[in-house]
Amino acid sequence: MIELIEGRIAQLILLIIVLAAIYEVTRIARGRKMKTRGIPGLERLDGWIKQAGTLDRSVFFTPGTGAVTYPDTLAALALLEYVAERCVEQNVKLIVGNADLNVQQVAEDIVKTAYTKAGKAKEYNPDIVRFISGRQFAFAAGVMGILRREKPAVNIFVGDFSAEALAIAEAGRSDAIAQFGGTTNVDQLPFFMATCDLTLIGEELFTAQGYLKNDPDTISTYVGPDAGKIIAILLILVGAILVTFGNQILVSLLDL
Amino acid sequence: MTREELILQVIIFSLGFFFAFVYYVRVSEPIDLQAVSQQLFAYLTAMLTAAFAIGMINLTRVHWINIKRKRATWKFSVILIASLYGMAIVSLISSPFALDPQAAVIPQGVINLFNPIFDFLYYKVLVTINSSIFSLLAFFIASAAYRAFKARSLESTILLLAGLLVVIGQAPVADVAWPGFATIRDWILAYPNTAGQRGILIGAALGILAFSVRRMIRYPWGR
Repeated sequence: MIELIEGRIAQLILLIIVLAAIYEVTRIARGRKMKTRGIPGLERLDGWIKQAGTLDRSVFFTPGTGAVTYPDTLAALALLEYVAERCVEQNVKLIVGNADLNVQQVAEDIVKTAYTKAGKAKEYNPDIVRFISGRQFAFAAGVMGILRREKPAVNIFVGDFSAEALAIAEAGRSDAIAQFGGTTNVDQLPFFMATCDLTLIGEELFTAQGYLKNDPDTISTYVGPDAGKIIAILLILVGAILVTFGNQILVSLLDL
Repeated sequence: MTREELILQVIIFSLGFFFAFVYYVRVSEPIDLQAVSQQLFAYLTAMLTAAFAIGMINLTRVHWINIKRKRATWKFSVILIASLYGMAIVSLISSPFALDPQAAVIPQGVINLFNPIFDFLYYKVLVTINSSIFSLLAFFIASAAYRAFKARSLESTILLLAGLLVVIGQAPVADVAWPGFATIRDWILAYPNTAGQRGILIGAALGILAFSVRRMIRYPWGR
C-alpha cells in the first residue's frame, strides 16, 4: 500500500516546485558568465594562505563538531578540498582538527588526495589531520591548545558549530590569528561576526568553494536557489496579506 | 568520472532518493520501506560506532610521534595517552558500560576497587573540567560583545542600541525602573531579530537543498 504521509504533502509539493525552479534557472544560467554579488573578503583567503607560507606558519582548519551527514560539514569539507590544494601548492603546513570520527576519515582522504594530486604523496603525514575529541568542550580545549602552541597564521573554522565556536574564536583572536568562520547556525553567527575577520553567513557557506575556484558551471548552480527565494518571498507576502485579512487558506494548505 | 566513481555516485543517488522518498511516502506492502529505512539507519549507527577505533588510533599515532621525537609539547602527549588509556581501562571495568558488570570473569573485589576511581575520574575530573571550559564562555561573550558593540558606523550604532535595550530589558532592575524596557526587549527579539534569523534560515535551507541535489547528481559533472 502506497500513501502520502499526512502533514508532509504540502512540503512535497513545495519541494517539487522549488526543485523545478532551481533546475530551470540553473539550466538557463549554465555556460553563461554570471554576475555574482561577491562575498566580501573571500578573495583574501588565498592571500592569507600565501602569507602563512611567507611567515613559515601553518594554516588551521576545522569543519566543526557536526557529523559527516550534516550539510554544513559537507560544505566545510568541500572548502577543505580547496584549502588543502592551496596549502600543498604553496608548501604551507596545514593542520586539520576534527571532532567526529567519520569526518576525520573523509578529511584525511581529502588532504591525502590534495598531496597525491600535487605529486607530493610522500610529504603527507598523519600529524596533519588530527582527531581531537568527540566531546564538545574537550574539542574546544584541544583546538585552543593547538592555536596557542602551534600559532597558525590562519584559523579557518567553517561548518556546524555550537557553543564551542566562541571559545575557539576568542582563543584565535587573542593570539592575533587571521580568522575565517562560517556557519548556518543563527545562534552562533553573532559570535562569528564579532570575532572573525571574514564570516560566511548561511548559504554563503555552500557557495564558497565554487566561488573561490571561479568556475562558471559551478556558479550557475548557485543561481538556482534564488528562484526558490523568490517563491519563498511570494509565499511570505501572500501569506502575510491573507492572514492580516483573517484568511487562513494558505496556512491550511501548508499544513496538509 | 572513473567506473568506481560512477558506481559510488549511483549508490549515493539511490540512497539519497530512497530516504527522501520514504520521508514523504508511506509504503507498507509488499515491502515496508519505512522499516527498511529504520534498519539502514541502524546500520549507519553501527558503522559510526565502529569508526571509534579510528579516533583512538589517530590520537595514539599523533601523540606517540610527539613523544618519540621529543617535540616541545611531548609532556602533554604523555598525559593525554595516559588519560586516554587509563580512563578506557577504568571504564571497561567499572562504569555503566562495563564489560562484566555481573562479575562473571572479573573478580568483584577488583570492580569494587575501580568503582571509586571511575567516580573520581568521571565526576570529579572530567565533568569539572568540562564545566570550567563551558564557564569560560561568559568571559568570552563579554570580550566579544565589547568588540562588537562599538558605534563605528550607522549599522553598528543600531546594533549597539538594540543590544543595550535587550540587555537592559533582561536585567531584573529594568522592571522596577520602567516596565516598558521588557516590552521593547520582547519586540526586538520577536520581530527584527526573528525576521533576520528566518531570512538567513530560508537562504541556508535553499542552499542546503541545492547543495544536496548537486552532491546527489554530482553536478557540474565530475567535480
